Amino acid sequence: MSNLKLEILTPNGEIYNGEAISVTLPGEEGEFGVLAEHSSLSTLLEAGVIDIEKEDKSVESILINWGVVNVDEEKVVVLVEGAVAIRGETESDVAKALDAAKELIDSIKDNNPAIATATARIESAAQNLI
Amino acid sequence: MANLKDIQRQIKSVSNTQKTTRAMKLVSTAKLRRAEELAKRSRQYAAKMNQVIAEIAGRIKCNKIGGIDNRCFTEIENPKTVDIVFVTADKGLCGGFNIQTIKAIKKLLAEYKEKNVKVRLRGIGKKGVEFFKYNEVELFDSVIDLSSKPDKERADGFIETSIEDFKDGKIDGLHIIYNGFKNMMTQELHVNTVLPVDTDQFECGDETKSILEIEAQDDEKMLDSLVNRYVQYAMYYALIDSVAAEHSARMQAMDTATNNAKDMVKSLNVQFNKARQAAITTELIEIISGVESMK
Repeated sequence: MSNLKLEILTPNGEIYNGEAISVTLPGEEGEFGVLAEHSSLSTLLEAGVIDIEKEDKSVESILINWGVVNVDEEKVVVLVEGAVAIRGETESDVAKALDAAKELIDSIKDNNPAIATATARIESAAQNLI
Repeated sequence: MANLKDIQRQIKSVSNTQKTTRAMKLVSTAKLRRAEELAKRSRQYAAKMNQVIAEIAGRIKCNKIGGIDNRCFTEIENPKTVDIVFVTADKGLCGGFNIQTIKAIKKLLAEYKEKNVKVRLRGIGKKGVEFFKYNEVELFDSVIDLSSKPDKERADGFIETSIEDFKDGKIDGLHIIYNGFKNMMTQELHVNTVLPVDTDQFECGDETKSILEIEAQDDEKMLDSLVNRYVQYAMYYALIDSVAAEHSARMQAMDTATNNAKDMVKSLNVQFNKARQAAITTELIEIISGVESMK
């Protein structure tokens, strides 16, 4: 099966642009996964974690606060307002990203159960990296 | 022949002005670099956002999604009131930057007046606001210090009124006018129709494969939320693009001013030398004729 093209854009620039095997998105109606050649769809995303399964099978997690996704036959474009990628070469880089992610979570005002899940998710993602 | 001292004073004053304009140019160059970087990073997002909105609008227009009756996506035949939001700089000394924007606003105002459409003018930036106040054109509301320091939250708050009023049917259109950054040398004037979303450019039929797959009851909610973000971002992007353009315009204006001052000093120097030479000649003649008369 071919890979899908994924673009994640924030107002401050690109956060991810490349190929992926699959991507899991926090839709308003619940989490959903997208593989290559998914049928077209546009929907809103709520605060949560985007999981990208990359070509080398590793998983990258990106925390977002709000977004909209546009899927078509060719590629997946995700527009988000605020995003932090949980990645880094060293332990301290990951810790820094984790702090930034927590800051983003704090900035989301409404009390949503999704946020609690997101907090747990990014922590476990960070654990896997270390 | 002008007085030697007068010319000297003038040379001094012009070279002082030159120093000031050169400093201002340097300041603008530094600020431009930062503003341009910010605008560049946002450009891609803004473009993609427009694309997503245009696609949805196009699908609605071509009736691919049935039963959606959202005001933001329907063309309004006879608008009664429209909002014009303009962005100008807070400061002058930037060439024709503000005047260009003001001219475009005046043109649009005249067009709407002809059609008997009421216009609510909402201003951002001291220069534009002052211009319309001086010319006794009524402003619906205005903010002064937002255009020099773009702030997402304040921009959101400002444009919120227009979005709400549009949804409530109090206004039938929203334009954002600003002078945007094209490259270091040129600015580009933008007159954007933000609401209702422009669907003219979208041809029916080229997206036949795509179908918007969303639950019927969520349509309205999703579109509402999306349109809010879209308009808010369009506003914010107009602000940051305008700041970048303002600095590039000022940089250019100050560069021209520095060059003009340089030319002026040059011609004043020539004048000064001529006057000095004339003074020396007169003095010599006086001495010689004095000596002659004593013989």
